Amino acid sequence: MNEPIMTDMRSEYSKALIQVGKDNPNVVVLGADTTDSLKTSSFGKEFPDRFFNVGIAEGNLVTVSAGLAASGKISFASTYAIFLPGRAVDQIRNNIAYPSPQGKKGLNVKLVVSHGGLSVGPDGGSHQQIEDIAIMRVIPNFRVFIPADTISVSKLTHLMATEYGPFYMRMARSKTPIVHLESQDFQIGKGITLRDGSDCTIAACGITVKMALDAAESLHQEGISCRVLDMFSIKPIDNEILEKAARETGCIVTTEEHNIFGGMGSAVAESVSESYPVPIKRIGAQDMFGESARDDEVPLLLEKHGITSFNMAKQVKEIRSKKL
Amino acid sequence: MGLNYYQIKKNILRARKLVIKATNIAGSGHPGGSFSMAEILGCLFYKYLKFDPNNPQWEDRDRLVLSKGHAAPGLFSNMAVAGYFPESELETLRKFGSRLQGHPDLKCPGVEFCGGSLGTGLSYSVGIALAAKINSKDHHVYTIIGDGESDEGQIWEAAMTAAKYKVDNLTAFLDRNFIQQDSYTEQIMPLDEKLEGDDLSEMWKDASRWKTGDKWRSFGWNVIEIDGHRIEQIDAAIAKANATKGIPTMIISRTVKGKSIEHMEDNPQWHGKAPDSDVVPIINHELDSQFMIAPSIIAGDMANLENEVKRCVSGRSDYIHLDVMDGQFVPTKTFDHNKIKELRPLTIIPFDSHLMINEPVKHVRDYIDAGSDIITVHAEVTDESSFGEIHDLLKQNQIGVGFAINPDTELPEWSYKFLPSLDQLIVMSVVPGKSGQKYIEETHVKITRLNSILKENNFSGYIEADGGVNLENIGSIFADGARVFVGGGAIVGQQDVRIAIRDFRNEVLKSRRRILLDKAHELGGTDLVNKWIGLHVVGEKQEQIKKIAQEAGYI
Repeated sequence: MNEPIMTDMRSEYSKALIQVGKDNPNVVVLGADTTDSLKTSSFGKEFPDRFFNVGIAEGNLVTVSAGLAASGKISFASTYAIFLPGRAVDQIRNNIAYPSPQGKKGLNVKLVVSHGGLSVGPDGGSHQQIEDIAIMRVIPNFRVFIPADTISVSKLTHLMATEYGPFYMRMARSKTPIVHLESQDFQIGKGITLRDGSDCTIAACGITVKMALDAAESLHQEGISCRVLDMFSIKPIDNEILEKAARETGCIVTTEEHNIFGGMGSAVAESVSESYPVPIKRIGAQDMFGESARDDEVPLLLEKHGITSFNMAKQVKEIRSKKL
Repeated sequence: MGLNYYQIKKNILRARKLVIKATNIAGSGHPGGSFSMAEILGCLFYKYLKFDPNNPQWEDRDRLVLSKGHAAPGLFSNMAVAGYFPESELETLRKFGSRLQGHPDLKCPGVEFCGGSLGTGLSYSVGIALAAKINSKDHHVYTIIGDGESDEGQIWEAAMTAAKYKVDNLTAFLDRNFIQQDSYTEQIMPLDEKLEGDDLSEMWKDASRWKTGDKWRSFGWNVIEIDGHRIEQIDAAIAKANATKGIPTMIISRTVKGKSIEHMEDNPQWHGKAPDSDVVPIINHELDSQFMIAPSIIAGDMANLENEVKRCVSGRSDYIHLDVMDGQFVPTKTFDHNKIKELRPLTIIPFDSHLMINEPVKHVRDYIDAGSDIITVHAEVTDESSFGEIHDLLKQNQIGVGFAINPDTELPEWSYKFLPSLDQLIVMSVVPGKSGQKYIEETHVKITRLNSILKENNFSGYIEADGGVNLENIGSIFADGARVFVGGGAIVGQQDVRIAIRDFRNEVLKSRRRILLDKAHELGGTDLVNKWIGLHVVGEKQEQIKKIAQEAGYI
């Protein structure tokens, strides 16, 4: 097997931002003392008048972004995941999601974060946000993405810049393998079938998509046909693709680096239980906080929570026996 | 341009009444904080804000952000008065399906910010101001924050951001009413100094204890400190803020929660409570009973009028009354517009110019240019045509329009058509011409007679009593219906102008309390009298009012 190409989400986000900034003079970018890390500072070099660093003040970051959006700007506000939903949920709800100008839903602010989930690694549990999807999912008017690779990041950044309204996009800290083709089309609320299969479905997002593909490959060796879905659009979720998977494969394993409560797995369970209930197994942080792990130890940290392709394959095999 | 004092004042009154009506019907809401910022909103809506109620999304409009969103009734009431929607819509406040939500909401066109969760409006305003800078637009952002919400750390995050990005197109007001939900701010979380004990008035006495201005100055803001209920101070502060470049401005406005209604003033209970229906008529009567003291400087040293103005300023007069006499219309000669021009730089207190001159239509322009804020001309030397000309010119220049009648003059019938837009009616209670005369007793009957004519003709201005007003008769003149009191010898002739004005106010207050007790008794007998008295829980008001009620035989 060839080593996958590893690329950096933040660099890709930065590049995409400059492009959307060139395409549309209304795009503004805001940061909170993490602009070098998020690589949004290059937008600032390109467009100094449209770039604002508000210091270590995330509530302020959110609300200033909202004020700009209220005056017709398209605000991209970025910092680490742990400091946005985890810290500024009131401002996100009351200053971005709630205010709805005539005929619109929410203000035109895009919250794009890095360092989502457990794979943050060495910084430890205090910095590993495993609750953000749950938080963002329950706020009306917000749409929530977790891209699996840099191709997704680039396309979704362009999509958010042209689609009105509040979005939350969570990127990973570490480099990620490419799983999509350059030609892949990304639509709001549309999951992507990366591998077809008939015995079971793995619904994945973010860095777990590649693991799910690996699991499906190993299951294939054992004669099990496993479908893999990239559920990058967690809200709105793709009810159609999920119902189809439930009908055609009869069971679903979900996988994410987020608490199993309230995350993508929960969203899938909610959807399927209303359309075509089948057994579901959720893989993710087991309602426990993360902890420090050197970069080369991150797989161990993920393994502690069962977030490995090995465990995915194992769960697929187990859940198949529970099919209705 | 004049101050537009009376127009602002009248609109503020309308808005205050709507706040009472709306919160009463809703059964909940926040009248206290709506009243503390009433004059600030009045100056903004009726003088400074550029807006178009028929096109609320007009790109070049100024933005008004009410960060202390719980004061929504105050905002909505002014929006109704300003023409965004009918005043009757206030009856839907806080009800299902209404655009007038419990807190300001973009659902209502013209509202700029969804307030409610405190501490965020200033950051939002910074965003709006930055957008205007990017777009090279010159509209202005005005933001009102509360002192309670200044507990929120984000206020100070926004303060730093505004200073960093030099958003001089942002002017903020701190509605410094010293009260938050639980109690006095200086007990809950002091902005100035921790208050020991319960007497808030302690905080007002010693300016060296006020630290709030220093806080904002140290955050890099241009700070202006004012009395947030004095229209001329708010006006001057906004003008100064708008002229300040390279730095945002914070106007720290010392205000009184529940201002204008004695039982609500400085009373933490009125942070978030609606008035009961039986008390509403008494409250409205009290709102109609606001009054102004206007010392006449000619009663002092004519050779040093500058000093007389200064004495009035330190005495905290509401107006400076300027008796202009030409030696023809009246036998005496005092001064003309040139003197007024000289005096103007001494103070921003409104100049109430009373022109006792022949052919005022020929001279009124000079008195506008000299810096008058209210100009009164006499019935005896005007007719429908010349007064019409004066009226229009004054209105165009945002000057209060006054009309005066001598003791022997009845209000001419031709003037009735001007009554709806007339700001001030001076009913002379002495024959004009010299200071120190006695009040002509027949004036009481005359004002009573006038009241019915004024009512019939929708007069919404203020009656000014001029001549022989003193501590003995001011209460009864107030009871007649006068709301502005010119004081000559009884104020300016006294050693200490401040004490004289304070005594004037106290006498009016006594009279007003009696009138309100009469009203309570008339509407609901002893029960309502007792209920109304019981609402006055702050300071010594209750005991004082009780005494008046006992004297009246109501309790």
